[in-house]
Amino acid sequence: MPEGAADLDRLEAEARAALAAARDVQALVEARARCLGRKGSISTLLRGLGALPPDERARAGEAVNAVRDRLEAFADARRTELEQESVSRDLERGRIDVTLPGVPSHAGRLHAVTRAERDICTFFASLGFSVEEGPEVELERYNFDALNIPDDHPARDSHDTFYVRPGVVLRTHTSPVQIRTMTGRTPPFRFIAPGRVYRHDASPRHSPMFSQVEGFLVDERATFADLKGVLYAFARHLLGPATRLRFRASFFPFTEPSAELDFGCVLCEGRGCATCSRTGWIEWGGCGMIHPKVLENCGIDPERWQGFAFGMGMERAAMMRHNVPQIRLLYEPDVRLLEQL
Amino acid sequence: MRVSLCWLAEWIDLPAPASEIAERLTASGLEVEGVECLGPDLSGVRVGLVLEREKHPNADRLSLCRVDAGDGAAVDVVCGAPNVAAGQKIAFAPAGTKLPDGRVLERSKIRGVVSNGMICSARELGLGDEAGGILVLDSAATVGAALSEVIPSGDSVLEVAVPSNRGDCASILGVAREVHALFGGEIRIPPVAATAAAPPPLPRIAIEDPEGCNLYVGRIVEGVRIGPSPDWVVARLETAGLRSINNVVDVTNLVLLEFGQPLHAFDLSKLRGETITVRSAHEGEAIETLDGVTRKLAPEDLVIADADAAIAIAGVMGGAGSQVGEATTNVLVESAHFAPGRIRRTARRLGISSEASYRFERGVDPDGVARAADRAARLLEEIAGGCSVGGAIITQGAPREAVPPISLDPDRVNRLLGTSLAPSEVASLLARVGVASSRTPDGSLRCEIPSHRSDLRRYQDLVEEVVRIHGCDRVPTTLPLVRLAAVETPPLRVLADRSRDAFVAAGFFEAVCLSFLCSADLDRLDLAADDPRRRTVVLSNPISEEHACLRSTLVASLLRAARENLAHRVDRVRLFEVSRVFFDEGPAALPREPLRAAALVCRAERTNLWESSKPPPIYFEARGVAERVLRELGHVASLRPGSGEPFLHPGASAEIRLAGLRVGSVGEIHPEVARRFSIDRPCAIVDLDLETLAGRMAAPAQYREVSQQPPVRRDLALLVARRVAAGDLLEAISKAGGRDLVSVDLFDRYEGPGVPDDEVSLAFRLVFQRLERAFTDAEITKQVERIVSMLGHRFGAELRSAPGGGA
Ligand SMILES: [Zn+2]
Repeated sequence: MPEGAADLDRLEAEARAALAAARDVQALVEARARCLGRKGSISTLLRGLGALPPDERARAGEAVNAVRDRLEAFADARRTELEQESVSRDLERGRIDVTLPGVPSHAGRLHAVTRAERDICTFFASLGFSVEEGPEVELERYNFDALNIPDDHPARDSHDTFYVRPGVVLRTHTSPVQIRTMTGRTPPFRFIAPGRVYRHDASPRHSPMFSQVEGFLVDERATFADLKGVLYAFARHLLGPATRLRFRASFFPFTEPSAELDFGCVLCEGRGCATCSRTGWIEWGGCGMIHPKVLENCGIDPERWQGFAFGMGMERAAMMRHNVPQIRLLYEPDVRLLEQL
Repeated sequence: MRVSLCWLAEWIDLPAPASEIAERLTASGLEVEGVECLGPDLSGVRVGLVLEREKHPNADRLSLCRVDAGDGAAVDVVCGAPNVAAGQKIAFAPAGTKLPDGRVLERSKIRGVVSNGMICSARELGLGDEAGGILVLDSAATVGAALSEVIPSGDSVLEVAVPSNRGDCASILGVAREVHALFGGEIRIPPVAATAAAPPPLPRIAIEDPEGCNLYVGRIVEGVRIGPSPDWVVARLETAGLRSINNVVDVTNLVLLEFGQPLHAFDLSKLRGETITVRSAHEGEAIETLDGVTRKLAPEDLVIADADAAIAIAGVMGGAGSQVGEATTNVLVESAHFAPGRIRRTARRLGISSEASYRFERGVDPDGVARAADRAARLLEEIAGGCSVGGAIITQGAPREAVPPISLDPDRVNRLLGTSLAPSEVASLLARVGVASSRTPDGSLRCEIPSHRSDLRRYQDLVEEVVRIHGCDRVPTTLPLVRLAAVETPPLRVLADRSRDAFVAAGFFEAVCLSFLCSADLDRLDLAADDPRRRTVVLSNPISEEHACLRSTLVASLLRAARENLAHRVDRVRLFEVSRVFFDEGPAALPREPLRAAALVCRAERTNLWESSKPPPIYFEARGVAERVLRELGHVASLRPGSGEPFLHPGASAEIRLAGLRVGSVGEIHPEVARRFSIDRPCAIVDLDLETLAGRMAAPAQYREVSQQPPVRRDLALLVARRVAAGDLLEAISKAGGRDLVSVDLFDRYEGPGVPDDEVSLAFRLVFQRLERAFTDAEITKQVERIVSMLGHRFGAELRSAPGGGA
């Protein structure tokens, strides 16, 4: 079956047209099989070459193979093109209005005071302080008497106590945990006691419930200087390495010597602002060497053992950090506030 | 206690400005809560130095000065005063200063030259009428210093918080002693009346309750003319916040402020009989006090009485009957020392806090009793025209316990403080607070306690004095040397923290609500009369009815929180709380304080503004959270329909059980209860008893080999009666599937056309897989057939179509 060059050209043109007409990869595969496949037109043509005389056969074979190579290359190129088109089509189909609001990913959050409490517990654990707890409804005896605040002592006035019945109060501080923890134990020991405390104070600037952390360490040689060191380390962990502290001598019936602890206002860096009442200092808590009577009340010999104790408001750091003006805002379950803090 | 610095300065030289005195007093334990300036406010005005003065280029009468105000660069100031000259120290108000007349200085151009402030005259500073020229200051003044430190601009009042053990500080004398301790200087005691004369024969003073009163001093002043006090007395009282009444009463108050010794003046003519008695009140006795109120007395109250009746409540308040009035001419001044505890109990019971009771409670110097009476007598002579009759009538009660000397080992001071003070330093610090000491042969200090410091009882009290005068800030800062010990945390705290984390991971915000409960909320929750949550801990002095007791459930707090949030148009409320609740355990025990966790979810009908699909009932959100939290805690809980909680929807709530124990409930809030809390949309809660959960701490999750075989899936669509609980089907399938069935899920629930009215179509997806080898089709088919026939048998379930599925 002799074929002229013209026929070969026609065949190539037809095959090209068929390959070019394929609209997708599947159609291309089929069109390719029709012209380049084992039973395709080119293969048929090549098989027909056997009938030609050898010299012609070689020449014609060369020509047909050239056509085949060109068609193969064309089909490959077409395939790449179709694949790209398909990707583009898919992308087009996947086009969305990216300005529509996202599906909200609703994370929750721990309360700011809980976070402060954890931070505090973690820090003191690093210094080897264990955690103790005590009841929030407490015996008056533990809340006051055992802490060397007898009934007729005016120091009780400042406590604004909630009473449940005679002898039972809402604890006004975490210090009774000292009594509960030390009684029956032999020093040395060190504990912190975080928890809620209550004061009968309805003024809007205060909250009748707030959180304190009590800490105490008793051994044979703990000093006031050690107390300062621990509180400096604590304050710098909680409020930053540049934190300044001020220890002011004070009076608490359950510590002696006693001191009030202030930290340098972080907001104004000590220059004075509304938050610190223009003093540059924020009152944080009280501390001191545990009063010998308190140790005696717990069955600990104050001639042999000595120690220090401190009690700090836990909200302070959170209020500072988030610039919360009033403590009671922390205890309002308002989602708009909780989302901020 | 409000302390006028002008007044204080009469008692002791003040070597420092008010701010420094306040700071030092505060640091040493006498907290100054505020300094009130009675004169003009000069803050901002500083001492400046006129470096150069030349004529203003554009105005003959003005000068142009270069002023150094201590902050480095000198500034140009235009000045109109004729007396300004180079080299003067002047009062300079930089731009931005607020002058006493309220004007705020601005940087301005005067005749073409910029002026950066003002050189002030006395009048501009509110310090006088001199307006003719600028105020020229002492040449020794420090450039840059606040003007108030250079010229006294009027009196300042220190608001001193007196510590509850330092009654002696509630007086000018007491504060002067503190100033002496910190700054040194001599204390000047004002003059008192002669004491040498013999006491008058009448009245007699008898102390019948010697424990309540160990000293009573009376002084008679005759011929006083009641009238207004002189201005200086009125002004002094006002600085302390006291109102002037009349000259006699004012004298008693003035002496109280001076010495801290409460006094009382009786009109001698109104006293019946010849003897004044200090005694306990009689049963049922009453007295009308100065404030016009009739008070019922109790036998533990101490009274001053004449022959007929009580004329004063000792140390608390005088009686109306013996009050000094217009017609009074002869006065008995009382100065006494009463037992602090007695005064405190009476004042507290009667709800009176007077200047007198405040001081007696905190301790008054017993050695100052007579002196105060003498001082009052002297002042009555001076300003009320009176005449002392004889000396003081002094009657002793129980002899006062002598304050014994305290032995202080200086080493103990250092051992307690961590300081290294020499014994002589310790002694000199103590001397500054009036504690004289001498070394004993064993090296310790024998410390004599002055009578006004009854608070000093133990050597530790002296250590406190040492550190407060030495300065807390001068104590070194060290870290303790300790033996290591393992750190422990109560297990319940660990559980609380883990459940908090689980709720947070589930997208909840932690709320911390007040522990108080309004008892009406228990009615709103429909709790039965015998519900244990009715056993609340009731406060005897609540802040309000809303806070009458401690909460026995977290649910009421969360419902109130939901209401508040919805009122604020917050659309999506997901809150949880982990807190203690409180149960009364009767009069013999403290309440129980178990830990609970609760969460509330409440949202608008649609969760996303543009998303169209409707979310399932809110119950399932709450249930999902409950399951997730329990899983995080290592538990797989089972739920049983019906929580039994009166405040939950009976048809949309379940009880959460763990190994046969109830550990909580989950459900939608009963619509009626929701209405009572003004919640207008579906709302569901989870309520968990962490205490019971803690008793069943889950073991850590255990490793199980993961199969490499392909899982085989079969979907089953079943028709069942509607009353059949899907949970029961799931449980039965799961049980019947055994180990090979790795999961079963409900993926479709349909009721409506094509399904009989009282039936529902439930579609389950079963996944089979095992470790050893892949399942054959036949094995799976056999398994599924077994399950289907079991479901048919037990639940009347009918297969809707042949099980579909694949690998
Ligand atoms: Zn500040």
